[in-house]
Amino acid sequence: MPNAVLPQDILEPDLLRLDRLSRHRAGRPAVQDLSLTLKRGQVLGLLGVNGAGKSTTLSMIAGALRPDSGTIALNGEDFLEHPERARRLIGWLPERAPQWPELTVGEHLDTHGRLRGLNGVALKQAREAIVERLELGPLQRRLAGVLSQGQRQRLGLACALVHKPALLVLDEPANALDPIQVAALRTLIREQVSAGTTVILSTHLLAEVTAVCDRVAILHEGRLHHDGPITDGDHKALEQTFFDIAMRGGDSTPSADRSRAA
Amino acid sequence: MSVIAVARLELRRLFVRPLTWVLAAFTLGELAWRFILLLGQFLANQIKLAALPGGPGYTDLVAVPMLSSLLTGGLLPFGLAELALVIVPLLTMSTLAGERSNGTLPLLFASGLSGSQIVLGKYLALLLWLALWLLLVLAMPLSLAHGTHLDWGKFAAASLGLLLMLAALAALGIACSAFASHPAIAATASLMLGLGLTIVNLGAQMAGVGNGAVNWLALSTHLEPLLRGLVSSVDLVWFALLIAFSLMLAIRRLSAEKERG
Repeated sequence: MPNAVLPQDILEPDLLRLDRLSRHRAGRPAVQDLSLTLKRGQVLGLLGVNGAGKSTTLSMIAGALRPDSGTIALNGEDFLEHPERARRLIGWLPERAPQWPELTVGEHLDTHGRLRGLNGVALKQAREAIVERLELGPLQRRLAGVLSQGQRQRLGLACALVHKPALLVLDEPANALDPIQVAALRTLIREQVSAGTTVILSTHLLAEVTAVCDRVAILHEGRLHHDGPITDGDHKALEQTFFDIAMRGGDSTPSADRSRAA
Repeated sequence: MSVIAVARLELRRLFVRPLTWVLAAFTLGELAWRFILLLGQFLANQIKLAALPGGPGYTDLVAVPMLSSLLTGGLLPFGLAELALVIVPLLTMSTLAGERSNGTLPLLFASGLSGSQIVLGKYLALLLWLALWLLLVLAMPLSLAHGTHLDWGKFAAASLGLLLMLAALAALGIACSAFASHPAIAATASLMLGLGLTIVNLGAQMAGVGNGAVNWLALSTHLEPLLRGLVSSVDLVWFALLIAFSLMLAIRRLSAEKERG
């Protein structure tokens, strides 16, 4: 399912660039001076304990929250200056996949498609494709309010993917999924990546990161403490790094600079 | 296009909510009862009325009083204007406060929509629903128009007054919903403000004061001339100002929320 909204050849090699991004929430710094660049087709795993700033970072990337300072460049353009263009490029699955309980699954897909700029035949085709891919056919007429948690998560994924985004932002996508659904999610992410989609995946599960990501960034207390590639058999080393950062806090700050991915 | 997408979403949410249908059924039933009572009174007094040269007719005694109790008083059931004070807050309460409590407001923000696009889209959907409701109510007196002498000008002015009142209450309700954390709080605030605007000049009226700032502020001061068939630009401007002020407040609140998170 290649990206249909923007052909790959007009996407910049550096799809996303965050520059000194900061944001306060509830009177405390949630994200501080966060800078990173994401290349087209990469899968970045964003790791961190609860309250590390993962969801705040993803909300800013998705356009739901404005940064206090810093810039977000998407496909070479300032995200905040061109929100209309950015909305076509990004698909976002927020934590807990919020939905309108009174709308059906099909209506959710139509609404998200329209809000992201799809209409008419293009919308119909996009909806049918994602319904088929995520096996939502039998649920299409069911109200979102009566779906199980796993079904809600699948619907959230479908809504994030309906307009075939170039950048897919997933906040804890494996929440409430059973092992079979988790395996299906991993397959879906790999499929998206092979079609040219760039993915950012937030989680606190190390196994999730090593299974699908080719790069990992570890946030702690709103700061980036580690940013590096993942290689095969790296699970133990990554686990050690994660626990070092989570337990000792800022001690390993320099590693972010040392291991920043090219 | 984004405003239309939000309007479609809101319209869909309105039409699938049982509350909307219950409110529509209850109010139309109540207004039908009022219509029958008004018609019964009119028919009972028809011979006496016919003897009066230039006396009140079907428009003054049935069609316009259907819309509001402002001109009738008495023991009749509520008119459309009085019901609107309750119905509109119940319809508007979920527009933004519901999105906030569902956690779906960030989804709209992430779609690149500005505060004004979200507010205007939702307002448009509410206006459509309220216009449809008003049309169904107007259909009752209009159903007898072929057999009576309906004063079309007066009836149109009264209908315009009601449409403006509904539009103003909807804007006020959306503003309350933009500020409230929960739909019930939004409904209560909107009801109180609507009632306040209607009765703010009651004291002045009882004291025999017919002008001044308090009277200018009251909704009834601007609705009554329209119900009597008098379309004045002062009244139209008052409704336009209330709508613009309320929507502006809602837009500012939503934009600030996007900034603050």
